[in-house]
Amino acid sequence: MTRTAAPKTRRRTTLIGWSFILPNFLGFAALTLVPVVAALALSFMEWDSYSTPEWVGLANFTRMWNNSTFWVALWNTCYYAIGHIPLTLVAALGFAMLLNRPLRGVGLFRTALFFPYVTSLVAVAVVWNMLFSPDLGPVNQFLRGIGVDNPPGWTTSSDWAMPAVILTSVWRDMGYYMVLYLAGLQTIPQELYEAAKVDGAGRWARFRHITLPSLRPTTFFVVIMLTISSFKVFDLVQVMTEGGPGRSTLVLSQLIFREGITQGRFGYSSAISMVLFVIVLLVTLIQFRLQQRSER
Amino acid sequence: MKRHLMKNLAVATALVLVTSACGGGGDEPAKTADGKDVLTVAVWAYDQTPEFKALFDAFEAENPTIDIQPVDLLAGDDYAEKVTTMLAGGDKTDVLTMKNVTDYARYGTRGQLADLTDLVDGLPKESYRGLDSYDLDGKYYALPYRQDFWVLYYNRELVGDADLANLTWDEYAALVKEKTTGDGANKVYGAYHHVWRSVVQAIAASQNGGDQLSGDYSWMADQYTMTQDLEKSGSIMPWATANSQKVSYDSQFSTGKAAFVPMGAWYSARLLADKAAGKHDIDWGVAPMPQPAEGAGVKTFGSPTAFAVNKNAANSAGARKFVEFASGEKGATAVAKIGIYPSFTDDAVLAAYAGVAGMPNDETAKKAFAPDEIMLEMPVSETSSDVDAILKEQHELIMAGEKTVPDGLREMGERVKNEVG
Repeated sequence: MTRTAAPKTRRRTTLIGWSFILPNFLGFAALTLVPVVAALALSFMEWDSYSTPEWVGLANFTRMWNNSTFWVALWNTCYYAIGHIPLTLVAALGFAMLLNRPLRGVGLFRTALFFPYVTSLVAVAVVWNMLFSPDLGPVNQFLRGIGVDNPPGWTTSSDWAMPAVILTSVWRDMGYYMVLYLAGLQTIPQELYEAAKVDGAGRWARFRHITLPSLRPTTFFVVIMLTISSFKVFDLVQVMTEGGPGRSTLVLSQLIFREGITQGRFGYSSAISMVLFVIVLLVTLIQFRLQQRSER
Repeated sequence: MKRHLMKNLAVATALVLVTSACGGGGDEPAKTADGKDVLTVAVWAYDQTPEFKALFDAFEAENPTIDIQPVDLLAGDDYAEKVTTMLAGGDKTDVLTMKNVTDYARYGTRGQLADLTDLVDGLPKESYRGLDSYDLDGKYYALPYRQDFWVLYYNRELVGDADLANLTWDEYAALVKEKTTGDGANKVYGAYHHVWRSVVQAIAASQNGGDQLSGDYSWMADQYTMTQDLEKSGSIMPWATANSQKVSYDSQFSTGKAAFVPMGAWYSARLLADKAAGKHDIDWGVAPMPQPAEGAGVKTFGSPTAFAVNKNAANSAGARKFVEFASGEKGATAVAKIGIYPSFTDDAVLAAYAGVAGMPNDETAKKAFAPDEIMLEMPVSETSSDVDAILKEQHELIMAGEKTVPDGLREMGERVKNEVG
């Protein structure tokens, strides 16, 4: 009796498990898995979205290799990620440390920092564009006020457009990651700090030997999320600079959009998206490996 | 029980698939509640583009059994991307507005538009401006209803009685400097030059005989030099400011912040409609585009706008009827009456255009509205959109002061030769 009941119960449990995961899996399969596989197939074809796709082998990848715009966009994407990830992380952790204390009005400060994250990205981009305006913008007016004779053109300067985009995105994102860090900070037992104080540990030592190690899982999650969002950045750049001036802020997502939607080269566009996919996958895998090694 | 459940689920799924496959459209047009055939037309910024309503009203009055339903794609600059995406998804919108010839060529050569050559064969071709631009290897997939060309708008109060009928660019630059007044928030610029590359590059191409696809762009140098000189003297808004603040040409001209604005003839309709609605009170006029030298006639650039029939149209018969109407005399009269220069013109249509209340009709305006030569804004070729992207990027670098004019033009040529071939 027990022999037959156990597999039945197991099967039932498995079925219930599948029924829970099925709606999400169907959505994932239809909206992520199938498009990724289709993009992989398309990257070896020439297709204008209308006529029959034509198999071209590695031609799209060869074209990419020889195209200066692809390399410019790849470099710009890395530049954005290299600026955006550490700056957001440091700002989020800094504000989380500051606001993890029983200050008066702490709720207001936390809300104010989180607010940009829930604001429309287009509105954020438009407002920062005005702030960065070379002649009339308050940023340059302030810089002139403190004696900078030739302040940068920001979004209209090849050298400064990407820093301007990075600063805007850090301002927008840091509130969200600050909330994650706040949650992480509140899980650290106070006894650890008290014991460290008794042992004579200073602020920096407590931060280095208690806070940072305790926040490792949060930091890992934050870095993964920032990496993925940085390599996929599109909307902010599109609204602030449209990739310009020239190609100075053109990122891979924009190039994918331009080549696919604007130029109708869906095969070439898919090939670029495959490169982006592989980059994000590799960086994420490396981070997982590093995390596992540090946990051992 | 379980078997029944699975069977019922399978049947339900099949039904959903079948009905959803059938729901996308068919040969029969959809009907309105009162039995009219629905005709869908893809347009941009419907509320700010009065010609669409004028055409739809005129067509519906003539065809009471058809109800036009605009598919408003809102943002004008992204219109082509949206249409491309719609077509890629098998959209069945009946009529597609072809905002420019380059995009038309892409849709036409890909086989996404219905062949309208038989309609063109019956047209009085000599009465159409811009019709040739739609010839793709002897076939036509769209018919133009509007012929834009660029003119010089001016504010009569700010410009005074200066003679604008035969301006050279040197004279124009001197006038623009002279008419610049005030400072800070009270500054009135002599002119506003919009950020589009065509404001420099297409003007230069049309007047200096330049080929925008050639890879040699030295012929743009004078136009860039003059524009940058005006900018340095503070007589036009810096390109960087206009670009970063997303300034619109209308906000500069209709609020009296700029005395001159070079712009397409389509702007007249907006100025007329807004003035009638009490949105501005500018006493405006129109002059021919300034020229490099006197006596060479009025050369300017422009681009026709057309309607095409989607190859997947749900109501292709109605769509063909509409396209024929819009590009013909009745459609031309409808748009001419609101200040849009139509593609088809005859004496009656031109009289309707000149007779629009508030439309400038002095001798200078008449000269502006009858240019001697209109060059296509961008030549149609397989490489047009690739070259266009490079020219735009280099324009930004030159106008933002990131490259000198000679360096920017040299790099422009090198990139076109290396990247487009």
